[in-house]
Amino acid sequence: MQELLNHPAVQAGLAPFLVALVTAGLFRRIGLSGLSLIAGFAATVYLASDFAIEPLTASRKIVLLGLISALLGLLPGLLQSRWLAMLLPVLGGAAAIWTVQRVLQQQAPQAALLWGAGCAAYVAILVWGMDMLSDQEPLRAASAATALGIGTGGAALVGASALLGQFGLALGSAAAAHWLIQMISNHSLPTGRTFTLPLAMIAGLTGCVAVLSAQLPWYALPILAAIPLAAWLVPLPNLSVRIQSLLLLILTFAFAAGVIYVTWRVAGDVPF
Amino acid sequence: MRKSIFTSLVISVALPLSAFAADSYTIDPPHTFPHFSISHLGFSTMQGRFDKTSGTVTLDRAAKTGSVEISIETASVSTGFAKRDEHLKSPDFFNAAEFPAITYKSTAMHFKGDTPASVDGNLTILGVTKPVTLTIDTFNCGVDPMDPLKKKQKCGAGASAQIKRSDFGVKYALPAVGDDVKLVFEIEAIKN
Repeated sequence: MQELLNHPAVQAGLAPFLVALVTAGLFRRIGLSGLSLIAGFAATVYLASDFAIEPLTASRKIVLLGLISALLGLLPGLLQSRWLAMLLPVLGGAAAIWTVQRVLQQQAPQAALLWGAGCAAYVAILVWGMDMLSDQEPLRAASAATALGIGTGGAALVGASALLGQFGLALGSAAAAHWLIQMISNHSLPTGRTFTLPLAMIAGLTGCVAVLSAQLPWYALPILAAIPLAAWLVPLPNLSVRIQSLLLLILTFAFAAGVIYVTWRVAGDVPF
Repeated sequence: MRKSIFTSLVISVALPLSAFAADSYTIDPPHTFPHFSISHLGFSTMQGRFDKTSGTVTLDRAAKTGSVEISIETASVSTGFAKRDEHLKSPDFFNAAEFPAITYKSTAMHFKGDTPASVDGNLTILGVTKPVTLTIDTFNCGVDPMDPLKKKQKCGAGASAQIKRSDFGVKYALPAVGDDVKLVFEIEAIKN
């Protein structure tokens, strides 16, 4: 059993998928099925890493900020206040700088400024983009989240960090569970900020750290940032939930595949 | 009066000199390589080394005291396979972008006769500091035979220790890739 739990495919694929599936089912009736995402991600952290915060490395900051953002998504005031919602991308940008602070300190001031601003902008765009999908568009949110997770994780895996890869793939697997429930039931399942906020934070920060600490090329980030925007903008024909979900997943996965491809062109084959 | 001033002067000069009786050495990077070996999936033992090391050593063999301070550039890890080296530099292992140096600072040096036998100290990897005792397996001091003027005094040592990488938060691929890591420091230092 322990051998099975130690397998990376179980840690970042099967476990977060199953945990998210169960969590979404359990919390569906109280409108918090979006918690499935952070539950799935937490399962991967438990199996592949730990919840320790000392020393507070960038990857541990990702876990910490992911959990905090899920709690923020639960705050009822935040769900209603438009002013606070506008503040979320700014908070996401600040969180990005804090996460990569130690890496930036090792660089020349000009490079640190450039990378810091780039990371902050990337996370802010993802938070803003996913937030637009949070309440009204569960089909689009689940598809975008699945593609964003798989794209970030797949690219991070190819870019020479298995841990960051597992973080991204865990998001993709957990979001896929949410997507699958909609597909099977042919009904939309609410996502909300409990789903979109931790997704945007964890995927955004993982992408930034993978660029700065491993071999993810910087131009992978704009392609990933386009995923929620593409899911938001694409016009959907008046078809069943199943067909809409499928179309959205195909569209957003094209971006995810593109990111993995450009990373593979730079980094080459996976070294492990 | 003059005599007492002279005596004070002698004492004030002699005291600092005695305080600095230990010889100080600077580590010679081209002849200093920390190595490590680790079990790979239980099939073989992989070897690696760090190519860039700096630091200082002080040694007073008469007083049987000494100290060692070493800084290893994390990004200089080399295993003979570039793709693996990139992976070792990533957050999965040494996280070189965030933690550019591995350091070792001694707290005590133990002697057998006038020869250093072991060093107690603190090893810092990924920002985690743990006490590690290095056993000195080989030690030699003398004039560099390749120096035509015979002025360059050198000391060299081979020291080793066994650590658990998980103690330092390097937990990727445990237990498949071994937890026990053998460290071997081959050091040469030139007298200042």
